[in-house]
Amino acid sequence: MLTIKALSIICPTFQEVIKKNYTEIRDYRKEFKMKTIILPVVFLLMPFSTAFASEGAPNIGETLPLYSVIPFAGMLLSIALFPLLAPKFWHHHFGKVSAFWAIVITIPLLIAYKGAALYEVLHIVLADYIPFIILLGSLYTVSGGILLKGTIKGTPIVNTIMLAIGTALASWMGTTGAAMLLIRPFLRANANRKNRSFMVVFFIFLVANIGGSLTPLGDPPLFLGFLRGVPFFWTFNLLPHMLVAAGILLIMYFILDTYFYKKEAVSAPAPANQSTKEPIRLEGSLNFLFLLGIIGAVLMSGMAHWGEVSILGVHRGLQDVVRDGLLILMAALSMFFTQTRVREDNAFTWFPIQEVAILFIGIFLTMIPCLKILQAGAKGELAFIISAVREPVHYFWITGLLSAFLDNAPTYLTFLSTAMGGLYTGAPESEAIALLIKENPLYLMAISAGAVFFGAVTYIGNAPNFMVRSIAEEAGTPMPSFFGYMIKFSLPILILVFIIITLIFFR
Amino acid sequence: MKIERLLFPTKFGEVDLNSLESLSVLKDAGLKEVILFYVIPREEVGFVPYGGYLKQEEERIREEVRIRFEDWQKSLSAKGINSRIIIEVGEPVPNILKIAEKEKVNLIVVGKKKKVAHDGPFVGSNTLQIITRSKIPTLVSKYLVQFEHEGESVTRTNDAIFKRPLLATDWSEPSERALELLISLNGLIEKAFVCHVIGVKISKSIDKTELHRIEKESKERLEKYCERLKFAGIAAEPHLGAGRTIMEIIRISRDVKASMIIMGTTGKDRLHDFFLGSVSHRAAGMSELPTLLVP
Repeated sequence: MLTIKALSIICPTFQEVIKKNYTEIRDYRKEFKMKTIILPVVFLLMPFSTAFASEGAPNIGETLPLYSVIPFAGMLLSIALFPLLAPKFWHHHFGKVSAFWAIVITIPLLIAYKGAALYEVLHIVLADYIPFIILLGSLYTVSGGILLKGTIKGTPIVNTIMLAIGTALASWMGTTGAAMLLIRPFLRANANRKNRSFMVVFFIFLVANIGGSLTPLGDPPLFLGFLRGVPFFWTFNLLPHMLVAAGILLIMYFILDTYFYKKEAVSAPAPANQSTKEPIRLEGSLNFLFLLGIIGAVLMSGMAHWGEVSILGVHRGLQDVVRDGLLILMAALSMFFTQTRVREDNAFTWFPIQEVAILFIGIFLTMIPCLKILQAGAKGELAFIISAVREPVHYFWITGLLSAFLDNAPTYLTFLSTAMGGLYTGAPESEAIALLIKENPLYLMAISAGAVFFGAVTYIGNAPNFMVRSIAEEAGTPMPSFFGYMIKFSLPILILVFIIITLIFFR
Repeated sequence: MKIERLLFPTKFGEVDLNSLESLSVLKDAGLKEVILFYVIPREEVGFVPYGGYLKQEEERIREEVRIRFEDWQKSLSAKGINSRIIIEVGEPVPNILKIAEKEKVNLIVVGKKKKVAHDGPFVGSNTLQIITRSKIPTLVSKYLVQFEHEGESVTRTNDAIFKRPLLATDWSEPSERALELLISLNGLIEKAFVCHVIGVKISKSIDKTELHRIEKESKERLEKYCERLKFAGIAAEPHLGAGRTIMEIIRISRDVKASMIIMGTTGKDRLHDFFLGSVSHRAAGMSELPTLLVP
């Protein structure tokens, strides 16, 4: 392990910057406004002028230029557009694209801000990215070891119950875990149904998104909030919002499914021979124990305070490090104790989680400038956003709409930073979050609900959406195109639901 | 035990067709059908990050594979062997094992069918998984191999694999089944060899008298195996070895100029397999000869 001392040899300003803890704030803005005219050109050739770098900049959010968010926008637009415009290229080269955007921002940042930038990079990787990937990976591994088998006949009532169970499970095993557990049995149950596309769409709405709104385990943005100090059970405040949204959607689904079921009945094949009927059963149930282990580990890290450890100069709670170790242990135990056949029958593969890991290192690194500028509040280059987004209703819709088209995890962090920057400018992050929860909880509810709920609006809003789509298409269920999904389903259905949520909770 | 239907999974390696053609002699031993199998790796077409599934890409690959297989089918048809094509999306190992059970094949043919590095094992990770888990006899085909022998680099083509098979037995039930399978190939065999190795563990832990007793008993058992082969019309020769089991089997196979090694394979527990691997699996990895493993 490298110590601060070792790092300060590599980067002489590092130790000094850590010690000062960003208390030394200088006003570079006048000079910077001039540079913003010239530097966009220089940015491509020699980013962040080395002359500027030599001056040092303890609070980088106040001095970062607006164009430093371009790589973040580029990264998110790549995720949004490449799968649509060049899916084959994207499939084989998304890692290079992610690396490109990460390098485009990280190297100039390190040159310009030296130790301060190095600290930010290390901090986001060690305190956010690694725990985030460990949680997603462990939930994915453990839930991938649970197999639901048996003959289920996809009637409207059975399908609605399956969706309701998936919605309830999503907050405890993650939207990805719940979706992976149920999507194949759901598709098998409805294999003889003619109209299946709408079923998978509602599955994405409920199981892959809205269901995950109650705990930090449910959806990645909420876990990022938890890592920054939002208490584990605080997200239960979203229960009324979730119940309203899920309730409306389940009723709509039941009506639609009943309509199609009756319509299809004429051409439906004869029921399967009773002798071939397989009883419903769960295999790999031991994994529920590991799932409890994950929940326990995350809860523990939110309650215990065992002091701090310094990893590469980044201070992390010992309980957080222990939590990450326990999560890895749970995943390892799941791998060892689950029969290979169970995972194979689940078509378990590491590929989706590898993809998420590769893409998210790009997302996390590129979002550093954006987060820092927003945290700088009125002193940052994104002050216009902070002044424009004022009310909870704004946060709900803007966090939501951006979450629909960009991944919802970074969007959540961006607007959490915006709220903190607007309401508690200059306050340390943990303090600002505590104040936000105490004095203005509606803002955090709006950001959380917006990030989680709107993730369902497009295929790219949340990672499990594309996994569910891929599995459904592989199983022969025709899925609507990117725009077809929005025009036929999410806009007419979800936007109506979100308007109702706004009127009830955020007016 | 007779080979009537075999599964030939392929990734269209450079000598895969040669390898397949070398198996056509099995027709004289009762082979009726070859199932040509291709697995489109799920990662190739599915889970496009934030995109979904490349349906058109899957269809393109399917068409390409179909065209190639149809060309192979002509070659099999000319030899009077029926064949079928199966193309699936998934993971190679589980899909191969599943389709083998579903189609009730008698033999799975796997393995690197092209030149391999002379310092590396003769089986890849997928092949190793298949031979470890298969409940069906599995032939690790090594059509063209390169290896070190007495300080020299040797390139060998294994194209007449059933002519001089070496049965390595540990007297287990799977070894018995391996013998039965060998007998079913009688029309193809020029001469068979049967060997048993008194392992280092045994020779180290017992006294000389006991060792002589085991030696005598082993020779008698080897003779019985050979008699059964001779009764089926196959010329057979016994060989008793002593020392490190795998190295002895390989030494004997080279001494008698064997064309293939046949072994019974027992399913060990996961820990044992993970840390050690069974003798048969390690033999398949270390010998330059095609290895037929019978569970």
